[in-house]
Amino acid sequence: MKKSLCGLLVAGAMLSLVAAGCSSRPSAEELKQLEDLKAEVASLEREISAKESEKAALQRAIAEKDAQLKQCEQDKALVQERLQGM
Amino acid sequence: MNVVRTFSLIITLALVMVSAVAAQEMTKDEWQRQINENTAKRNELRAKLNALQAEVDKLKKDDADKAAALKKCNDEILALVEATPESERAFAAMLDQIDSKINELARLSNQDLWARKGEIDDVQKMIDEARKNKLSLLPKYYDRIKEQQNRVDALRKSLEGAGMQTYTVGTWARDRDCLWNIAKKPAIYNNAFLWPKIWQGNKDQIKNPDIIKPGQKLKIPPKGDLTNEEKAAVRSYWQRKQAQAGTGGQ
Repeated sequence: MKKSLCGLLVAGAMLSLVAAGCSSRPSAEELKQLEDLKAEVASLEREISAKESEKAALQRAIAEKDAQLKQCEQDKALVQERLQGM
Repeated sequence: MNVVRTFSLIITLALVMVSAVAAQEMTKDEWQRQINENTAKRNELRAKLNALQAEVDKLKKDDADKAAALKKCNDEILALVEATPESERAFAAMLDQIDSKINELARLSNQDLWARKGEIDDVQKMIDEARKNKLSLLPKYYDRIKEQQNRVDALRKSLEGAGMQTYTVGTWARDRDCLWNIAKKPAIYNNAFLWPKIWQGNKDQIKNPDIIKPGQKLKIPPKGDLTNEEKAAVRSYWQRKQAQAGTGGQ
């Protein structure tokens, strides 16, 4: 009884080894191709993140200049008014 | 028998471990799936990056245009007040100087402020000068000069509030009034040696401290130690007296 149980265990283990070893595997070159692709994706994600920051900074700068321009136009009108009153 | 059982158990365990490691390795199908997924993602990211770059380029152009418009507006304002960036810098430096002078005076005690009250007038002249410049019409300077004027007014007010009394000079025959005796009065300083304070506080109407006239209304500065200016005036007074005495003796 014990003998047959041992035999069964060994046979099962060998079967699983055969099943894992017999399926098709990618070559080293193909694995490198996948790694390169993943690296390119990660790099693109970093570039997009930097570009989005740059875009946000530019939007802030433009909004600030808009406000300054508006203030400048108001100042100019005020100076013209004061010059007339001089 | 036991040896055989133990051996077969070890072999079984080793085979199970080897097959587990082999099962973790990527299959060709899995590789293909990941290649497809990552290729699609890369293409999507490339398109997104290109679109973002176009947006950023447009924003950069907008930013440059706004900067140019702002410069033009500022230049137009300077032209209106007939100023140049250099003259504006000089004007701003003058306002800084006024601020620093006012700050210096504001830190003084009432007594010291009284001794240096002439400097308040100097600051007032600087403010008046600044007002004549058309640059003072620019809001940023207009409000600043207004604030400076308020601070100078406050300094004058604090001088008035320093308990400045006045004293009307009586006659020598009746009151024995001279600067020494006036300073000695308990209601004034109760200290004759402080007479130079009255002299220096009334420089506009007392040229020679030995001569004051009945009916003259003298300002009495706040009591306190003689300032350096007052001490210097006393020294020069005594030197003059000695010189006169020397001349008279010859």
